[in-house]
Amino acid sequence: MSDDVSDLLAVEFCGMRLATPLVLLSGCVGFGEEYTRVDGFSNRDVGAVCLKGTTLAPRLGNPPHRVYETPLGMLNAIGLQNPGARHVVDEILPKLDFAETRFIANVSGSTVEEYEEVTRIFDDSPIDAIEINISCPNVKEGGVAFGNDPDMSARVVAACRKITDKPLITKLSPNQTDIAENARRCIEAGTDAFAVINTLMGMAVDIESRTPFIGNNQGGLSGPAIKPIALLKVHQVYQVCRTHDIPIIGQGGILTAHDALEFIIAGASTVGIGTALFYDPLVCPKINAGIADYLRRHRLANVQQLVGSLVLHEATKKVCV
Amino acid sequence: MRGSSAPTETVVIAVKTAKTTHRNTIFVEAARVLAHDAYAGDQYILRVHAPRCAQHATPGSFAHLQCDPQLPMRRPLSIMRTSGSDGWVEFLYRAVGTGTRLLAQRKVGDDISLLGPIGRHFEPDQTRSRPLLIGGGVGIPPMVFLAEWLHRHQPHKQPLVLMGSETPFPFTPQRSAIDVGGVPAEASTAMPLLEQWRIASRLASQQKFAGCYQGYVTQLAAHWLDALTPPQRKDVEIFACGPHPMLAATAKLAQRYGIACQVSLEEFMACAVGGCAGCVVPVNTPAGPAMKRVCVDGPVFDATSVFF
Repeated sequence: MSDDVSDLLAVEFCGMRLATPLVLLSGCVGFGEEYTRVDGFSNRDVGAVCLKGTTLAPRLGNPPHRVYETPLGMLNAIGLQNPGARHVVDEILPKLDFAETRFIANVSGSTVEEYEEVTRIFDDSPIDAIEINISCPNVKEGGVAFGNDPDMSARVVAACRKITDKPLITKLSPNQTDIAENARRCIEAGTDAFAVINTLMGMAVDIESRTPFIGNNQGGLSGPAIKPIALLKVHQVYQVCRTHDIPIIGQGGILTAHDALEFIIAGASTVGIGTALFYDPLVCPKINAGIADYLRRHRLANVQQLVGSLVLHEATKKVCV
Repeated sequence: MRGSSAPTETVVIAVKTAKTTHRNTIFVEAARVLAHDAYAGDQYILRVHAPRCAQHATPGSFAHLQCDPQLPMRRPLSIMRTSGSDGWVEFLYRAVGTGTRLLAQRKVGDDISLLGPIGRHFEPDQTRSRPLLIGGGVGIPPMVFLAEWLHRHQPHKQPLVLMGSETPFPFTPQRSAIDVGGVPAEASTAMPLLEQWRIASRLASQQKFAGCYQGYVTQLAAHWLDALTPPQRKDVEIFACGPHPMLAATAKLAQRYGIACQVSLEEFMACAVGGCAGCVVPVNTPAGPAMKRVCVDGPVFDATSVFF
């Protein structure tokens, strides 16, 4: 990346300087090294990489099939397969090159105590930040069961907050009635940032066998199909966050620079890239270049000047307020 | 196995540190369609220009193709043949769903985004001189790739390739000039390409195709194995790719005769580089049950780890 582009794209996020506003999303890129198999892919093209959701004990995850394509999207139900927090910190983090990008742990659990314990393990590690996953739709306990209940969400955030001074990012579920209220509670409980949104719960049916295609019966829907929903959720959460200076990782179906810019204008300081990598593993530098072009065209010196710059129509403003 | 690997690959690997040997091993190419021919039963043979994939592919590896730019998920296709010198890669697939039906519409001259080569390849044991290759339906391609590799790199071996299909084979079977002991006389035809390489092959189908064994390909394999002497059987190892029931039957056959067996699996796949864990299969390991990714932990697995 040229100096000119670096200056345009660098972002301050929870006290961290990110090289670009792109964040690779948890669950899409394993534990940070998997995509480097692809020639031409570099973690340096993104501001941060969120590692796979991690629990205290190892988990085998859900039975196959775990992924299934749907119109302009896909369902997944991985079920938090991971080798356990201790293994991640002892065996995986030492192999990551922290000079390339920022690495963010994704903490999951079935109980508040498990979230605490996993956070404690990552607190004593070189990890740059911790994402609290209270929105995984594919596990029986914890996950979205916590994330859809503002009281429980706040309890989990408060518990993790007591344990770490590292930046805490709370990943919010779209599968709830009032995401803004949940965000308010999580800010009170001490979150430093939000990831908006996790996947939407969905299903696909094999009409020949009359069974769901997904082994877990239901899964989380991602991809461009959910982009308008994600965008509105970012807009709604931003209304709460703007007065508290709490940044958002906007995510949900971003494939292009155009998509990323929509999220940034709606209030996201950074944007998550997930399913887009399945379309094109080399999409990140293209999105960076597209954002830089837009900024030059609009004579903006840095992408942060664009965050939350959405101008609502008067009629819509009234409805929203 | 380093079948068609070029000297440059060895050099590249040598200068990498142990920490990063996996890096830059899968290539993204705009693969130009060179040929795309339809066969009975919605089968297609697709040849694309993808020189880096062609240079690095090994038998059992696959490529992840973007059937249409609008589809979120690419489709994994086994590689059937490659030419490192001419830079092409060839696939055999059946149009069975949204993705492969869209792929079938791609014309000569079109570019298809290709990610490959991907996955662990078959690993023939140097000491076993009778490789038995079993391919079922669209599981045939990696068997052809492995047969060609054996033909070029281990010509002292006597492989036998058995293929099963319930739709007409995507080639015109020809009467075989190579004797194969133990197989019923009705199984008299072979794949012409394999005949050219002087590799024995026989065909099986439940349909009444002329010159084919009428039954399962694994039953045909059992006929051949039964006719071998115990010392001859010790020289056999099995490689298989095909529908799950065929692989399960192959694994049982291998177990019955005490023969080593490697199987190539498939599963719905999103990233294909090990990042999403979407394509896992349950596998037994010395440490206990595990979920292994078909894309980078496979697609080739030891049959005993999958089926027993």
